[in-house]
Amino acid sequence: MSKLVNDDGRTHIVSPLMRESLVDRRVARTTQTENELAILPDVTLVSLGGHSIFDRGKAAIVPMADEIASLRGKHKFIVAVGGGTRVRHTISVAVDLGLPMGGIAQLVGAMEEANAVFLNALLAKHGSIVMQREHFWELPLYLETGMLPIVISVPPYHFWEPPAEGPIPTHGSDFGVFIHAEVLGMKRIIFVKDEDGLYDSDPKKNPNAKLIKKSTLSDLLENMPEELILDHTLFSVWKDARHVERIQIVNGLKPGELTRALAGEDVGTVITKEVSRG
Amino acid sequence: MVERNLLESTLSGSPMTSAKPQALDYSPEAMLPDVKVLKIGGQSVLDRGRAAVFPILDEIVRAKDAMQMLLCTGGGTRARHIYSIATDLELPTGLLATLGGYVARQNARMVQMLLAKHGGIYIMSDDFEKLPLYFKLGCIPIMAGMPPFGYWEKPSSEGRIPRHRTDAGVFLSAEVLGAKRAIFIKDEDGLFEDDPKKNKSAKLIREISAKELLARDLPDLAVERVVLEYLPRARYCHELQIINGLVPGNVTRALAGENVGSIIYKS
Repeated sequence: MSKLVNDDGRTHIVSPLMRESLVDRRVARTTQTENELAILPDVTLVSLGGHSIFDRGKAAIVPMADEIASLRGKHKFIVAVGGGTRVRHTISVAVDLGLPMGGIAQLVGAMEEANAVFLNALLAKHGSIVMQREHFWELPLYLETGMLPIVISVPPYHFWEPPAEGPIPTHGSDFGVFIHAEVLGMKRIIFVKDEDGLYDSDPKKNPNAKLIKKSTLSDLLENMPEELILDHTLFSVWKDARHVERIQIVNGLKPGELTRALAGEDVGTVITKEVSRG
Repeated sequence: MVERNLLESTLSGSPMTSAKPQALDYSPEAMLPDVKVLKIGGQSVLDRGRAAVFPILDEIVRAKDAMQMLLCTGGGTRARHIYSIATDLELPTGLLATLGGYVARQNARMVQMLLAKHGGIYIMSDDFEKLPLYFKLGCIPIMAGMPPFGYWEKPSSEGRIPRHRTDAGVFLSAEVLGAKRAIFIKDEDGLFEDDPKKNKSAKLIREISAKELLARDLPDLAVERVVLEYLPRARYCHELQIINGLVPGNVTRALAGENVGSIIYKS
């Protein structure tokens, strides 16, 4: 039974954090535990790049949608979509207009919504559904009935995007996909892009760029390539994360790569992290 | 290979994944530069009930016709209770952030009920676009201070309490609206070198820069650490003011721009 205490003019509920300053590091550390509950550990998050898949139109989207439809029921997965070139255009115009950074962050999700609708239009007959982004508690229903949940990627930081050095929001889609997987205790994320994986420089500009087939988070943090296929913020957050063990980047323009990745094959680039887990 | 159908813009072709800021012309415009953003503390004010809350709201109502105010609420002891149980269940930070927001929302609704007869109106976190209307009508918009990060709150290496709580939400609200100062109404005279509730000889700091305060590396602080990390990069909200709302007149003086309490400034 909970007890109330009000000997200092404030009414407290008795709990280990009662009366404590949550800013106090000593207090915060008492909330650290060795393990963390994994809510949906057997689900994989599949991210479809806006720039790399959707901006290429039918020729890239339809084969990808067919492949996703063929995987339904064989794996539990959620598809997250990016926004692509329209996001860049939005930010470019917003920066020119001098909108505040939080205002810029508020705008971009709409461009991802459009891609979620495109994909859903193609996959509806196979049981897809555009899920309201934070309706996580509906996921067991969708996944157990073999549906294909589709979400947008950008995190809902919106007007509250923290200030950064430049005008461009630093909490973008790759970060959003990562946190989505992490908070639900998923172990794997597959990023579907238009390159064979992670390179040591941008292969679109440098024909000699070398593909990195395997890497670890600690190696990447020490030796971060200048031009990355995934957002920098993702890697800095992965450091403090508990659940995501494996991030794979595959080429969505090559039929079958996503299928092989979902089956656990090491296609594309595989980045791993040693995770302590109980 | 099928080509990408790209829109031409200053960012087309840019990978946008680098940690380095891009060189872009950017002269930001403040949305509502005259708005005063205030936070009413959860544990420090609202958990004290009527005795503390009513006099503060009276001062706010007296000032309301002369200025635009956005009121935000903290969480308090119920949020601490939730965080304790969630820690016991070993839930991830993102769940704590989501659940902590419920308490701040309850508090915002309580304040709204009390201020309804004076134009108090409860707003959701994405209602900023309606603020010009509310101000024009003489309303006092009230919202939960918790930022909407929720499940997307970053995990931390120092425990599972979300790092962005209601102080961060209030500061980030002030920043996006273009307010120069965020005012935190608490139950102590300002920022102290140690927790004044536990250490009676703790010294009050009247003015300090965010950088200096972070450099002191105090184990406890009157505001969330992330706010001090963001303040040096802020474009608008350059000052945090911490005042004692239990002292009559302090809210009025702070709203008039007086430096009561403590000021933490950008640089």
